[in-house]
Amino acid sequence: MKHPMLNYLKETGMYGDRFPTIFCPGCGIGQILNYTLNAVDRIVQKDGLSRDRFFFASGVGCSARLTSHYLGFDSIWSLHGRAPAVATGALLARPELKAIIFTGDGDVAAIGGNHFIHVCRRNLDMTLICMNNGLYGMTGGQSAPTTLRGIPSTTSPYGNVENAFDLCQMAITSGASYVARWTTAHPQQCIQAIEKGIRKKGLAFIEIMTQCPTHWKQEPAKMVKKFRSQGVRFSQEKEKETLKKDQFWVGEFLDKDQPEWLETYQKIIDRFK
Amino acid sequence: MSENNHTAFEPLLTEEEAKKVVRGPLLPGDYYLFGSDACVEGAIFAGCRYYAGYPITPASEVMEKAAERLPQVGGRFIQMEDEIASACSLIGASWAGAKAMTATSGPGFSLMMEAVSYAVMSETPFVIVNVQRPGPGQGYITSSQEDVMQARWGHHGGGSLIALAPSSVQEMFDFTVQAFNFAEKWRVPVILLADETVAHMRERLTVRSREEVKVIDRVRPQDLGIPYEKYLPYEGTVPPMPAWGDGYRVNVVGLVHHPDGNITKYSPEMHFACVNRLQRKIEDHVEEIVEVEGIFLEGCRHLVVAYGTTARSASEAVVELRAKGKADVGFLRLKTLWPFPENRLRSILGQLENIFFPEMNLGFMIHPLKEALRDRVQHFISIPSLGQLHTPEQIIEKIEEVIGK
Repeated sequence: MKHPMLNYLKETGMYGDRFPTIFCPGCGIGQILNYTLNAVDRIVQKDGLSRDRFFFASGVGCSARLTSHYLGFDSIWSLHGRAPAVATGALLARPELKAIIFTGDGDVAAIGGNHFIHVCRRNLDMTLICMNNGLYGMTGGQSAPTTLRGIPSTTSPYGNVENAFDLCQMAITSGASYVARWTTAHPQQCIQAIEKGIRKKGLAFIEIMTQCPTHWKQEPAKMVKKFRSQGVRFSQEKEKETLKKDQFWVGEFLDKDQPEWLETYQKIIDRFK
Repeated sequence: MSENNHTAFEPLLTEEEAKKVVRGPLLPGDYYLFGSDACVEGAIFAGCRYYAGYPITPASEVMEKAAERLPQVGGRFIQMEDEIASACSLIGASWAGAKAMTATSGPGFSLMMEAVSYAVMSETPFVIVNVQRPGPGQGYITSSQEDVMQARWGHHGGGSLIALAPSSVQEMFDFTVQAFNFAEKWRVPVILLADETVAHMRERLTVRSREEVKVIDRVRPQDLGIPYEKYLPYEGTVPPMPAWGDGYRVNVVGLVHHPDGNITKYSPEMHFACVNRLQRKIEDHVEEIVEVEGIFLEGCRHLVVAYGTTARSASEAVVELRAKGKADVGFLRLKTLWPFPENRLRSILGQLENIFFPEMNLGFMIHPLKEALRDRVQHFISIPSLGQLHTPEQIIEKIEEVIGK
C-alpha cells in the first residue's frame, strides 16, 4: 500500500524532485508533515471531503518550507509570522476552505505573536500547527521566545536571559477552541490531535515539540527518546503537580465549543439576503 | 475567561430595517456623496467582496463605510490587529478568489510595505487606498501628498506597480473601479493615492451603468480551458490565476521562481528573468495604463503640472491667470502617478520655459518629471505646501514672481 504521505505530495516533474527535502538529517519537520498528511488522509477517506478543499499556509523558517513546493495542495509560503493573517483573508473570501497553518515557534510567537493571539481570539475555523524546536533553525540557531532561560544559542552565547513563552497557555487565554501539545515522539497522538483540530469548528492550536539535531548538536534518536520522558501526560488532577526541570506537559489542554467568527458574521450577511 | 464569549449574537438590525438597504452596488444615477464613501461604493461596483483594515485618521471613514456595506452585498469585512495583518490578509483573500481592499494612511502604509513587496513577487492583485496624511513620523492628520514616492519605491526589491491619484469625489469612485481593473488585469497591487481633502469632501457623484463602465476580472486558467496538469509553466505577460479551492493545487511563493513556480535550481539567469518580467509587465505597457489630462497646451510656454486635490487649486490658478491675460499658461494633470507617464508627456508637450509643480510635499514628483522632460524645459519650479492644500492665490503668486504680473 502506498504511504498516505506520498499521495499528497506534488508529483515529480515540472516541480522538480521532492526528495531529498531541504531538511537536515534527523529533523522532526518531515515527521510532522507525515502526521499532518495522515490526519488529512483520514478526513478525506472517512468524510469523503475533497483534498482540493484544503489549503496550507506557512510563514518563514524551516517549518514554512513544507508549503514551498512539496505539497499537492493549494498552499502559500507567505510572510514571516503572517500566515494566520493570510489564512484569515482566504477563509473570509472562501469559507468552505479548510485552512491548515504550519508555523514554527519563532514564526508564531515572536514576529507573528500579534497575529497568533488575535486569530485565537477571533476563533476562526483553522488549524494552527506549531513546530517548536526552541530556536531559529533556518537562520542558524538563534534564541527564540521559546528558548528556556539559561540555554546558550548563537545570539545568547552566555546563556539566554529571557523567559520562555508557554504557547499553549497563550492560545488558551487568547480564546482558542482546541489546544494540545505533543512531541515528534508521539506519532499517533499527533495524528489524532490534528484530525480533531481540523474537524473542530473554531481555532485549533497544536504545538508539536520537535528536535533540531543541527543546532542542538545532539543525536536525533536520543532527542526523540528524551521527549518521551520529558513530556508528562497532562490531566486536570495532575495540573497542580510541579514538573521537574526540562519536563513539560503533553496532552489535550482544551476542547470546548464556542461561537466561531465566520458562523457569527454569516448571521449579519443573512439579514441582507 | 470572559463569559462574553458565549453570549448569543444577534445582528443589531431588524429584518425590516435590512429590507430598506441597497443590497447591491449603487444604482446608476446622481448622488451627493462623501469621498471615502464614494471610494467604497466604487470598490463594491468593481466587485470587491473583502475588506480588512485598521483604524487610522484620516482613512477610518473608508473602513467604517466598508464595515457597513460589505455584508450588505454578501462580502466580508474584518478589523485586523494592525496594518501588517490587514495587508497580508488581502493576499490570502485574493488567492481565495476575492477582489480585496484595505485603506490606510502614512504610518499604516509603511507597515503594509512588506505585503506589497510579497504581492509584487507573487503577482497577487489587490487595492490599497492611501488617504495621505503628512509625515514624517506621526506627522499630522491633515492633507498631504508625501507618500507618492513610497507608493512606488517603498517596498523592498524590484518589480513594478500602479498608483493613481484621484482629485474629486467622482474620481474616488471611478479610480477605485480602475484600480481594481488594473490589479486584476496586470496581477499587481494597485495603490489609490488619495489624500485627506478628497476623502473628506462632499460632491456630486454620477454612477454610470454596468454597460458603460468596464469591470475587469482576472483571467483564470479554467477560463482558458487549461487543466491542472498544464497550468504551469505559464506563457505570456500575465499568467492566469487560479483560486485556492479550484483544484489547481497551486503553491504560492515569495521567492524568485522559475516560470513553473519552482523555487529550486536557482540560477542568476532565472532570478533576472523572474524579477525583470515583474518590472517589464508594467513598464512595457505604460501606454495602456497611464492617463494625463491637459488643457490650454496650445502655445503654452509656462505649464502648471499637478495631481490629486492639488490639481483643483492649480487648474483654478491657471484659469485665473489666463483671465488676467496670460494666454501662454497651460495646465496638465497626472491621473496616473506610477508607472510615470514619461512617453505620454513627451508626446503631448513641446519646448517650455517653465514648469510649475504645486505638491503637498517638498517637491517629490518633480523628480521623475525632470527626468522625463529635462531637454524640453528650461526651469522646473516646485511649489511646496505642507499640511494644507494650496490656495489658487498661492500658486498664482509664485508663478507671477517668475513670469511677471
